[in-house]
Amino acid sequence: SSQLSSLPLQILFYVNGIYYVFYFLATLAMIVYKSQVFSYPDDFLAPDLAVLFLMAILEVPRLYLGCKGNLMEEEAPLGLSLGVTVGSVVLCVYLLTWQTYVLWADVILNAVLLCAYGLESGLKVMAIAVFVS
Amino acid sequence: PADTRGAARERASSAPAPVTDVARLCVCDLLVAQCDANCCCDPDCSPEEFSLFTTCSIPVVVGDSRLCRQKAAVYSLDVEANPPERIFQLIDQVNPSIFCIHATNYKQALYLKSPEMPTPENFDRLLNEFGSAAFSAEPEGWDVDPEAPNPPDANETHSYEYGAPVQTEDAFLRLPSPVVSSWCSDANPAAFLVNQATKCIRSVSVDKCESIQGLSMLFYINSSILAVPKSSQMVNVTVQSIVVQSLDGRRTLLEGGDVLRLPLALDELCLNIVLGVSYHITYTDTGAITEAAAAFVLGAITKEALSVQQSFQITFTQVNTKPVPLSGNPGYVVGLPVRAGFRPQGYPFLVEFLTNRHSQLTIMQSTGSQDCLAAQGARAPVLFGYNMISGCKLRITAGMKCQPLAQTLLDVLKGQRFPEYVASFGNSQAQDVLDWVPITHLHISEQKIANTLQSSCQIPVSLGIEVKWTKYGSLVNPQARIVNVTATLSTTTLQQLPSGRERIIPVTSSVVFTDISSPAEPGYKAWPTINIKLPFDFFYPFV
Repeated sequence: SSQLSSLPLQILFYVNGIYYVFYFLATLAMIVYKSQVFSYPDDFLAPDLAVLFLMAILEVPRLYLGCKGNLMEEEAPLGLSLGVTVGSVVLCVYLLTWQTYVLWADVILNAVLLCAYGLESGLKVMAIAVFVS
Repeated sequence: PADTRGAARERASSAPAPVTDVARLCVCDLLVAQCDANCCCDPDCSPEEFSLFTTCSIPVVVGDSRLCRQKAAVYSLDVEANPPERIFQLIDQVNPSIFCIHATNYKQALYLKSPEMPTPENFDRLLNEFGSAAFSAEPEGWDVDPEAPNPPDANETHSYEYGAPVQTEDAFLRLPSPVVSSWCSDANPAAFLVNQATKCIRSVSVDKCESIQGLSMLFYINSSILAVPKSSQMVNVTVQSIVVQSLDGRRTLLEGGDVLRLPLALDELCLNIVLGVSYHITYTDTGAITEAAAAFVLGAITKEALSVQQSFQITFTQVNTKPVPLSGNPGYVVGLPVRAGFRPQGYPFLVEFLTNRHSQLTIMQSTGSQDCLAAQGARAPVLFGYNMISGCKLRITAGMKCQPLAQTLLDVLKGQRFPEYVASFGNSQAQDVLDWVPITHLHISEQKIANTLQSSCQIPVSLGIEVKWTKYGSLVNPQARIVNVTATLSTTTLQQLPSGRERIIPVTSSVVFTDISSPAEPGYKAWPTINIKLPFDFFYPFV
């Protein structure tokens, strides 16, 4: 077929968007829970919250550029989205390993998100290869 | 030396490392090098001692139970085996909750923080952060350094407050008092409005008596007192009177007693040394000192004297008032003297009572000699709430005349001027005649029935004063009020003795305070009533 856009990638973007909303609310709620139950001084709480919000801010252009690139079959936005994904991956790894308190639920959420990012990145690379050629 | 100091500082600045290995932690191991009973984790116990345990007081030693996976030391006793033995297992404990802590990057999250060890460098910072106002290096307000710049709060109080040290031009008014030991310390300041009396011992020697500062009058009056703190208005300390005490203790008031008399070493004596100072400070109601006077007791010491006891006193009086010591305000305070007085003779109606500063109800004071006839009239004031009993022994010999003996005993028991009225409140004023309670006198005579027809002479042998008081006023702050005072005099017949014989009879006087308060009844406010009345002209056109 003449359609070059990747359907699995589009489905993944859609699912990622919904999952990310759930992920953001859950992580924020858990940080609030941790600050009440454990000893969470302010200078440890601030970086964790900053990372979470930064990740949320990055997610929106990432998904938008990815969708746009995929649907318009252009590789530039898709490549840009891939770059932003790298940043998101770094932040996700921070929340997985370098957070002040890493609960088991944190591990599960971040691992799922990392898998999603990894799968997305793979599909994006394949899509770029298809668009370029 | 520099290395050892540095090493010592290193050692001192870190506390011992906390033990976090569960296999080595044992909370029940309290006795060092001894086996604790039923403590299965105690390393000092041998297997024989384990076989004597009945149960393990601590079955599990774990760290924070919120961790997802952690090591736990489990101790148990196998009672089936013969002999019973202790089982120690190191297992992995898993927390199934989804919110268990998988990892932390914050070291103090799971352990108590080791406190910072104080060193000479960080001591001041730690004291500011954690210290409370217990001791400060210098007391505030004692800045006697004239070069210090004017403090910014120059508009502060220009008056003395209660308890503030009375300042003089060089430091403060000294009231030497014993600190820690009985030796006089000259660094005790007199506090404003705090009436104090202190006694302390000062070491003396006849050779140096002229140079010891604390023995000379000049030391106590040379610096003038500041009228208000930090002002330039001075009040000179005047010499009110000088009493000279001789070596045998007799005191005489010196005429023209406002001349300064400095210590004088003469032969083997040193004269004019200060044995007592009594300051009288007059102040205004705004907290400024207007007058200061000092009354001295000077004495002499011999060559053998190594120390002398000095007594110091300070009293504060407000200007234009004549202070009368109150025994309570308004109710009597336990321990303060019961105030008493007389009604002036010749007045048919109740007028003011005659009381002076020291009009008190007094009771005979027991002396060492215990002889009633040799008693010199020493009397002790009756203190409210304190039951007292005192007595003496009367030696009756043959041929003693009854009537003079009775009069003497009456004087001994009642004193020279036994009061007629007692103040019912601690602050009763002399002009409020209704506030004073008359003393009721009862007379009990022990007459033998056989001698009822003969009117024989009776001698008083006991005086019992019963003071009935009640709680007066509010339930939460009851005030003591004297309601009734009864003085019961018991007399007995003086039996004439054959010559050569003598008898000893005891003579006692006592004071008893009885609480006759009726139980308190709570009073309740009346229920509010609804007071509805129609206006006068409500039915105007018709009525």
